[in-house]
Amino acid sequence: MRRLLLRLFPAPWRARYGEEFEALLEERPLGPFDVADVLLAAFDAHLNLRGLTAASNHAKGFVMTLRLAGLAAILGGLAWAAGLAMASADDSDGIGVGIWMFVAGTVLLLFALVGLSAFQSRRHPRLVWAAFIVPAVGGVVTVAGALMMAVSPDDTIVVGFGGWDFWIVGLITLIVGSGLFALASWRTGSVSRTGSALLGVAAAILLIAMPPMFGLVEIPWEPLLSIAFAALLLSFSAGWVVLGLGAIRRDRPSIVVTSGGA
Amino acid sequence: MEPSQPRVPDLGRFAEPALLILVSLTDGPKHGYAIMTDVEAGTGKPMGPGTLYAALARLEARGLIEALAPVDRRRPYKLTAVGETVLGDQLRDLSEFARRGLQRLGREPR
Repeated sequence: MRRLLLRLFPAPWRARYGEEFEALLEERPLGPFDVADVLLAAFDAHLNLRGLTAASNHAKGFVMTLRLAGLAAILGGLAWAAGLAMASADDSDGIGVGIWMFVAGTVLLLFALVGLSAFQSRRHPRLVWAAFIVPAVGGVVTVAGALMMAVSPDDTIVVGFGGWDFWIVGLITLIVGSGLFALASWRTGSVSRTGSALLGVAAAILLIAMPPMFGLVEIPWEPLLSIAFAALLLSFSAGWVVLGLGAIRRDRPSIVVTSGGA
Repeated sequence: MEPSQPRVPDLGRFAEPALLILVSLTDGPKHGYAIMTDVEAGTGKPMGPGTLYAALARLEARGLIEALAPVDRRRPYKLTAVGETVLGDQLRDLSEFARRGLQRLGREPR
């Protein structure tokens, strides 16, 4: 009887679920209700088989988006900080490797922002997308500024503003905006609250360091600014890396074989 | 750019069994028979084997649950991170719906 019922299902369904389904049917005597239920399920499996393939592909695409965003956050966080540190240490007039690494890192962070926002927006869509806009605009502007500096370092591009102006305004917007993104990420709690906290710390350091950085406030001990800059780089980079690791871990395939819950 | 999320209500007449399965898997991986007995213990209503596997196949195809390696022909299933998020959203929606319903009935203060 069980074998006969199983034969009613389409072959691909039997190949995937047949053995375990047969084991389930052996667990207890089959009543008329169960037989009717299995007949309906077999009918449904024939009707639904095509739809399942499409849905499976959709789910794989969704998981892939999250993994790519996680990878982009890790690589972007590292490249961004390394590039900015190298560019700051470089005293030569030309555009060095550091700036290009910084541009690549920022572009990767933009990819990560889009992917992670898409994942997190399922719970608080308005909050997440609002928090996405500021760092995304900052990222685009700072990349544009870096490219302007590479093409014509000394020229004024738009009404008195040159590449450096765009670069620094975009950079500040990116870091402060990442702090807003961190707040939204903390609220959703979907990826990593540690990563969110680190991004928040980076934004806070920048806000505190900005007045002395632009010479608006005197600081008693000059090295303090360098320490703040290093702490900002580290917390911003680590924040994105931790967020990226959290995103990848969210859908890591199970490698532990369990014996079942009952 | 936002990928549309898989939703439990999209599972048609299997939405309710799917929700019961997801809730059953919240305390750890379970194989088919364990899910059936757990759901029956929780709701007082039996879930047929055909209904169970039709819903399991849909949930797995949508990435809400994940099959683990079989143990003695019985394959345990676990909730994925996406499944956990979708279940949380769905339960919150149901909770809000229930609260409004109770308010209309005058069984809960407004």
